[in-house]
Amino acid sequence: MDLLRAHCLPQRLAGHCGGASPFPFPEMAQDSVGLSSDYQFWMQKVSTWDQASTVETQQDTCLHLPRFQEFLRQMYEALKEMDSNTVIERFPTIGQLLAKTCRNPFILAYDESQKILIWCLCCLINKEPQNSGDSKLNSWTRGLLCHVLSAFRFDIREVGLFTQGLGYAPADYYPGLLKNMVLSLVSELRENHLNGFNTQRRMTPERVRALSRVCVPLITLPDFEPLVEALLTCHGCEPQEVLWPEFFDAVSEAFLLKKISLPTSAVVCLWLRHLPSLEKAMLHLFEKLISSERNFLRIERFVRDSSLPEAACHPAIFRIVDETFRYALLETDGAPEILATIQVFTRCFLEALEKENKQLKFALRTYFPYASPSLVTALLQHPKDIPQGLWHQSLQHISEMLREIVEDQTHGSYGGPSDCWFAFIHFGGWADVAAEQLLRSEADPPEAVLWLLAFSYSPRDGSQQRAQTMEEVKAVLGRLLKLLRSPGFSARDVQAAAGQSREEAPRPLECGPLIRRLLLNFLLWAPGAHAIAQEVITLMAPTREITHEITGFLDQTLYRWDHLCTTAPASRKLASELLTELRGQV
Amino acid sequence: MESLLQQLARFSEVLAVSRTPHVSTWDPATVRRALQWARYLRHVHRRFGRHARIRTALERRLQSQWRQDSGSGPAPDPGLTNFQALGRCDLVLALRLLQNRALREAVWHALLQQVFPGPGVPGADEETLQGRLAHLARRRAAVHVLRLHGYQESPVVQEDALLKTQAEGPGGLLSGLWERGPQDNFLKVLAAALLLPPPSPRPQEEETGPGTPNTPGEGHHELLRWLLGKADILAAFCRRLPAGVVAAVAGRHPELSRVYLGLLADWGRHLHYDLQRGVWVGAESQAVPWEELYGRFQSLCQAPPPLKDEVRTALESWKAQDGDFEVPGLSIWTDLLLALGTGT
Repeated sequence: MDLLRAHCLPQRLAGHCGGASPFPFPEMAQDSVGLSSDYQFWMQKVSTWDQASTVETQQDTCLHLPRFQEFLRQMYEALKEMDSNTVIERFPTIGQLLAKTCRNPFILAYDESQKILIWCLCCLINKEPQNSGDSKLNSWTRGLLCHVLSAFRFDIREVGLFTQGLGYAPADYYPGLLKNMVLSLVSELRENHLNGFNTQRRMTPERVRALSRVCVPLITLPDFEPLVEALLTCHGCEPQEVLWPEFFDAVSEAFLLKKISLPTSAVVCLWLRHLPSLEKAMLHLFEKLISSERNFLRIERFVRDSSLPEAACHPAIFRIVDETFRYALLETDGAPEILATIQVFTRCFLEALEKENKQLKFALRTYFPYASPSLVTALLQHPKDIPQGLWHQSLQHISEMLREIVEDQTHGSYGGPSDCWFAFIHFGGWADVAAEQLLRSEADPPEAVLWLLAFSYSPRDGSQQRAQTMEEVKAVLGRLLKLLRSPGFSARDVQAAAGQSREEAPRPLECGPLIRRLLLNFLLWAPGAHAIAQEVITLMAPTREITHEITGFLDQTLYRWDHLCTTAPASRKLASELLTELRGQV
Repeated sequence: MESLLQQLARFSEVLAVSRTPHVSTWDPATVRRALQWARYLRHVHRRFGRHARIRTALERRLQSQWRQDSGSGPAPDPGLTNFQALGRCDLVLALRLLQNRALREAVWHALLQQVFPGPGVPGADEETLQGRLAHLARRRAAVHVLRLHGYQESPVVQEDALLKTQAEGPGGLLSGLWERGPQDNFLKVLAAALLLPPPSPRPQEEETGPGTPNTPGEGHHELLRWLLGKADILAAFCRRLPAGVVAAVAGRHPELSRVYLGLLADWGRHLHYDLQRGVWVGAESQAVPWEELYGRFQSLCQAPPPLKDEVRTALESWKAQDGDFEVPGLSIWTDLLLALGTGT
């Protein structure tokens, strides 16, 4: 939660602002003065690290790898504009810097550092050597370049000669060797995991830790995926965490930026063993949601992309994700983006849960401990699994259960109103169905459904307030239904039905979100409302926020109809048209 | 097709030359052409990777070429040894030229420009030459990092990554020998190696490189593992070597005996009883004839236990599976058992 707060997420969500700021990234000075001082800093660092043969130098190197790469990139940008002599004038010790860098295998093993280093070396080459000094420099640079590329001291000399005899070039040899080394380490780790103490080649915890440390620069190398996976999923018998914390950070970062792909089991292990990774994953999701327009399809794509639904089949992860959502909801006062995300997430989660083939299936109450199992079971039923004629029954049932919990003074064994409301909004489909049903049936609105609607919009109302709301809604419904039966009606008529008196001068419609929703449903379903729909909406939406709300509603409705396979071509067409129109305005 | 083979031959020459001082005569245009050529061959590799016929033809030509080359000098030029190598020929060429000190300075600069044009070039890292060279450098660093700080050499030879990699090499020592022939001799030597007496303290052999085992005992494992992994060579081993030899090796190495029995069962099932002539015959010409099958089983039954008993048990169980007939001519296993007698 602190992580969310630190990124001012609640305020940004509430403000609907576009253009999120990227993940905090240490900005390096762009001007040349800045580069010079950075140069000094890095020169010193690289000298200290040398070949990174001790634990301390390794740790320090790995911590600085991304920033150092950025520095190298900036150096290259600066160097490529100069000729060789200028380079030496400007950075007299650059030879030293580059040479020391070449000696550090951790730097060369990281991401694109070796490539950028080679480019920098290319800049040192003097195209027109004037004197022996120039030629010597060229020769030296040439040697260093070859060193980076091939004649490494890392070459295992005698084996090199042997493989040459077999017709095996280094270009073939090293990839194969790497693969075999990784395989060997993976099998050692798995043995560790399965046999615990009963294996001769058991990996000591220190060795596992050291391995996780040296892997940090190599996480994005595809050959290493099996090893990263093994490190995450295989634990020995130690009670405390063995892996190096920066390893988790690096894996988490690489995973979020899609530089590595991990199976769900490995991601679950990552998030369970290292809570900040899970927090970062949620933060990443929220950032994406803020910076893009609210659109259910897009939200679904982001959620699926995040691997959160699959991982959440593990109750511990689900609880943390759920609590994070609840926190975000509270802090943003029920922001519609968060509500939408929760709904999409829950649906994806349920799909993933169904696909899970584990023998150990957790009971529902492990995921929703704050709601009674019967309530959750009722909510879980998707409207599309129930014949439309029986929807009112389900609505009744749900409403009664909720009402019982809410009006029960003793709060029973489960949470109070806020808890059961939170459970309810996970399964948003029912509230939408309720509103739609009220307008599509000619009969008197059942009280249970009215209650449900009122509750879903204002969970914290007292019983008197709620009763008032229900009355209001009933009145509006009555008037709207009367309109339906009349031969024709105008936008003003609709306005009047919503509760504004006719005599006053035409002014924007003021009503709460609940009434607005009823009106919108009315416009979509009432035959003859098509013509005046646009006009009514214009009356309803004087502010940008309300327009936003209406587009959200239309988008959600279309999305819901797609999933329910609702065939209502006229309504659908109208909804799409209105949506396009409104989006064009913004 | 012919032109392709010619280009292949010519490029192999270029590749061989790229390591020699002869490149001092090259100018930037030559370098450019050579690299283009390599790029073309890489394209060939991609294009015909799935095309079995062309691929085999190219592979055969490359291997025969390599055999010729390796006969001529002490250290053969590991240029293009097989079809796979075509996929990396531009890497190999670029690396050789970059390291060749005989290349004139100006030419070397031009080469550098071509190989490392900088960040503006389109194409993913897996595609561009500079990307792949950098990737190779990255992997080399990874090997070093692992070797010094994480990986432990395995005392178990067949699992040691270094040795495994060498054994797997496209021109792997043993595979290379098999390819080059003579094959019968190779098989006999293999059998002899597998039958060498168990390890005892011996003076260190003057083998070169860590690829060869220090003691024959360890070598057995490696050798056997390799053999078991090569189905075609294994089949040849069991078929072409005399019954007694295979029986001896099988007696020594249970894993081999299992495979051998499997092969024998398979060969046996391919025979059918010719009612008129009263003999078991095979449908194809390559089928193992009855006499040979019998001879092999006889050798096995003369082997010391437990192999002898294993074979008996296997024969009994196959006979039972077939219906447990006592009458000849219905199940080959019955007939074999009858022929072998109840002898110990």
